[in-house]
Amino acid sequence: MNPVVRWFHQLGSPPYFDRFSARWAPVAHGLGLLVMAYGLYGALFVVPADYQQGDSFRILYIHVPSAWMSMAVFALMATYAAIALIWRIKLCEILAMACAPIGAAFTLITLVTGSIWGKPMWGTWWDWDPRLTTELILLFLYLGVIGLYNAIDDRRSGARAAGLLAIVGVVLLPVIHYSVTWWNSLHQGQTISLFGKSHMDASMLPPLWAMVVGTHVWFVGSLLARARADNLRREAGKEWVAKLVRAQS
Amino acid sequence: MGREAGKGAIVSYRDYVIAAYGVFAVVMLWDFFAPHVAIRQYVRAARQRAARMAGTGKDTGFPLSRD
Repeated sequence: MNPVVRWFHQLGSPPYFDRFSARWAPVAHGLGLLVMAYGLYGALFVVPADYQQGDSFRILYIHVPSAWMSMAVFALMATYAAIALIWRIKLCEILAMACAPIGAAFTLITLVTGSIWGKPMWGTWWDWDPRLTTELILLFLYLGVIGLYNAIDDRRSGARAAGLLAIVGVVLLPVIHYSVTWWNSLHQGQTISLFGKSHMDASMLPPLWAMVVGTHVWFVGSLLARARADNLRREAGKEWVAKLVRAQS
Repeated sequence: MGREAGKGAIVSYRDYVIAAYGVFAVVMLWDFFAPHVAIRQYVRAARQRAARMAGTGKDTGFPLSRD
């Protein structure tokens, strides 16, 4: 068998996944923290203040990566949920459900930091603007997925129901992305482009890309740690868990 | 932070920046510690289960079961 395919099959085994996540989650967290520290240093102490917004523009360095993560994590959650529904892979159920609290955390950061930036710039903490409203709906969807998963006693049934909600919720992602184009929005249009030309000065971009990379790597660490916790909860009482605690004590 | 923003009057908004980064730090700390606390709880529960099994010689699966 191809070694990569074999590795994927092995990863589906709960004890193997526990060892894998216990080993790599701290590495990803550490690496993510390091890259984010570099980005935060640049954002707070290196780049100059904006000529119109002053220092408030520095909020962008946590707001934008969090906003991107809030949508990317939802897309990943729906992908895992679809794989879990089609091929009944238990690990994908676990990974899909582990995505939800992390995505909710990034969405919360997006909304709160956006609100804090909005007060001095727009003169208000909140506006029922299409971008803000759709992002708020995304938070409710995340909370719905978490609530549904925990409301059903049988973990597998709960994961399937919550996964279905995640798959249906994907329709919101293009609405969030294009909300500033489709409607007359208070929120500014696309300023930073991954492949095209960005409207930000080049000197302001490196810390932002560091934060984007850092939050992605951090997410991998959080995903592994949360999936490991859920894996242990589901597998409680199995022989490999007993062996694990015997080995630890 | 706090460099001059052009020639006009400097408006820092430092408090807003501190508040936003504070929120970011708190949520990220929660995101880091929540799964570790959960893992510790599950491992402790598994250890207690293993101790019960060692005491009774069998695992009923239900803590209050008389089986």
